[in-house]
Amino acid sequence: MNAVVGLREFLILSAVLFALGLYGAMSKKSAIMILMGIELMTNAINIALIAMSRFLTPGLMTGQFFAAFIMVVSTAEVGLGLALVLALYRRTRTVEVDRADRLRG
Amino acid sequence: MTWLLAIPLLPALAFVLLAPLPRATRNAVRWLPAVAMAGSLAGALVAFAKVMAAGGGEKPIYQTSVAIATIGDRALEVGIQLDAVAAIMLLVVTVVGMCVQVYSLGYMHRDERVGWYFAVLSLFSAAMLGLVLASDFLLLYMCWEVMGLCSYLLIGFWHQQEAPRLASIKAFLTTRVGDVGFMIALAIMYASVGSFGFEAVLHGYSWTPALATTVALLLLFGAMGKSAQVPLHVWLPDAMAGPTPASALIHAATMVAAGVYLVARALPIFEVSQVALTATLAVGTATALLGGLLACVQHDIKKVLAYSTISQLGYMFIALGTGSAVAGMFHLMTHAFFKSLLFLGAGVIIHAVHTQDMREMGGLRKLLPWTTAAFTAGTLALAGVFPFSGFWSKDEILVSLLKTGHPVVFVLALFAAFLTAFYMTRLWIRVFAGPAQKPDAREAHTEMIVPMMLLGAITLVIGFSSPFFARFLGETGGWPDIRMALGSSAVAASGIVAGWWVFGKKAVDTEALKARFPQFYGMFDNKFYFDRTYEFIFVHGYNRLSDALWSFDAKVIDGAVNGFGSTWSAVAGGSWTFDARVIDGAVNGLGSGVRWIGARVRRLQVGRVQTYQRLVMAAVIVLVLWIAWKGA
Repeated sequence: MNAVVGLREFLILSAVLFALGLYGAMSKKSAIMILMGIELMTNAINIALIAMSRFLTPGLMTGQFFAAFIMVVSTAEVGLGLALVLALYRRTRTVEVDRADRLRG
Repeated sequence: MTWLLAIPLLPALAFVLLAPLPRATRNAVRWLPAVAMAGSLAGALVAFAKVMAAGGGEKPIYQTSVAIATIGDRALEVGIQLDAVAAIMLLVVTVVGMCVQVYSLGYMHRDERVGWYFAVLSLFSAAMLGLVLASDFLLLYMCWEVMGLCSYLLIGFWHQQEAPRLASIKAFLTTRVGDVGFMIALAIMYASVGSFGFEAVLHGYSWTPALATTVALLLLFGAMGKSAQVPLHVWLPDAMAGPTPASALIHAATMVAAGVYLVARALPIFEVSQVALTATLAVGTATALLGGLLACVQHDIKKVLAYSTISQLGYMFIALGTGSAVAGMFHLMTHAFFKSLLFLGAGVIIHAVHTQDMREMGGLRKLLPWTTAAFTAGTLALAGVFPFSGFWSKDEILVSLLKTGHPVVFVLALFAAFLTAFYMTRLWIRVFAGPAQKPDAREAHTEMIVPMMLLGAITLVIGFSSPFFARFLGETGGWPDIRMALGSSAVAASGIVAGWWVFGKKAVDTEALKARFPQFYGMFDNKFYFDRTYEFIFVHGYNRLSDALWSFDAKVIDGAVNGFGSTWSAVAGGSWTFDARVIDGAVNGLGSGVRWIGARVRRLQVGRVQTYQRLVMAAVIVLVLWIAWKGA
């Protein structure tokens, strides 16, 4: 059996990871868990980008660059997200997003 | 001789100076018109002397005119002239005016609007002087109307009271009826002659009899209104509601004589038409008799004098009707002096006893010696007793009547003379004879006595000018016929005796006569029903016309207006309904539609972050599937 790890394997990994993240972001009540789910999804996308850059256009570094940008942006995003969570906690003494429903129409 | 203009302009200037002043200041300078009048008097004396030096006659010694407007190629001119008639009239007006001004200073000094009184009196004098100086009918007519205005203002001087106010309106309207005739005459005159000038109209145009009759009758009608001739005499007795000195000047001496002056001026036109002369004679006779009869039954001293004035004006018209301007003008002059004297005396009496009713007077001869003397002179003059002025002028008229062959009118005129003597005796006995009813009556101030004395002296001597008067006017004249003098003196004496017999000796019970002939007395009491008739025809007729016009107004005019209004209201109501239903409905419908949609759409906003996440995710999946399917 050819044990070469190719593009397909990476994309499957990426998809699984993304699905896990999505599930976490949508099903958890804690805002921290949702943030962690989102972090999983961005990383899954990073994997997909780097894999496709490595296998489909080896001469170019486009995917890697994108991945580096996404890491920077997601780091900033997590910082902002955690600040939001802290602010939420201070006002409502909870981090469950179900409680933050004051914008309900 | 342009300085002649100053004669009327001085009093006019006094009016212009006084009129705009505040009341207190005006009252303080009330002597100003008297000063202006003194200037006019001096001017009149000089003018008279100039005419005298030129020998009098019909020809004016001075004439000038100025064009006030040009219509097409015709100039409208007004001018002044000085001839014998004008010179005499100037003298009469200024002398009487001066006397009345001085007298009024005493008579009116307690009135709070005395300044205005003197201002109007001054304007009146200006107009009258302008009238006698006028050399054309246009200026004459203008002054004529200004006098009418002043008469109105002075009759209604005490306008806080009902009677003077009504009397002033009556006087104004009645004289205006005559003035319309005058104005039409002027129009016809201008249309046919093309000028208003005396020279052109009277001597420079050959009148056809028909045209002359028309113009003369219309002029006569105007003169009848101003000179209170039957049937337009009704305003003069009521005009006595004004201040007594104003009555003396305006309603006895000057303004009412303006009609006589007008007819005397226009006599050349009258002479073309026998109809006009006869009409003048008839009007004069009727007026002389009616005035004399009614003067016999009045109790108000001023009303007696007013009817007497009407009667004497009738006498003047009789003279003019015989074609004798000289006799008419002479009686005008003598009458102006003695009647103003009588009115001034009546003013003193009224002030002394505080009533005008002769039944409450009596025995005043001891209390008011000066006034009695002056008033007696006036009474004798009016009654026609030698040597007072009325005797001379009345004789001239009677002579003129006989000369022109009017025996019937002559007899009637003699009867009028008898009546005059009769009612003046009645007045004198009622006022001066018998026991004193008001013992606290006091003689008037000097400034009121002196003018009366002056007028009394004139009354005594002016009659002797009779033969010179006619020559001065350019006619032939001489001393009156001795038989006529004796005859008229006999008539006057019989009138006086009859008056004494009835009222002095009380030989006839007048109350019993009243009870005996109630219809007869009622006729007198109602002043021969002139006022009643006018009231029925004009006042009631006017009221009925007004009622008819009112109902037309209420039904047709108001109906149209109201119909338009309600139509417009209905249109506006429809417009409002459209606005409320359609326009507002659209706006509100849009609003409620948006609200309805919003009520449903808001349910999407559940407020849960993860619900949104799921929606986004589902949308992405759908999108991806759609791309995959579409892209394939």
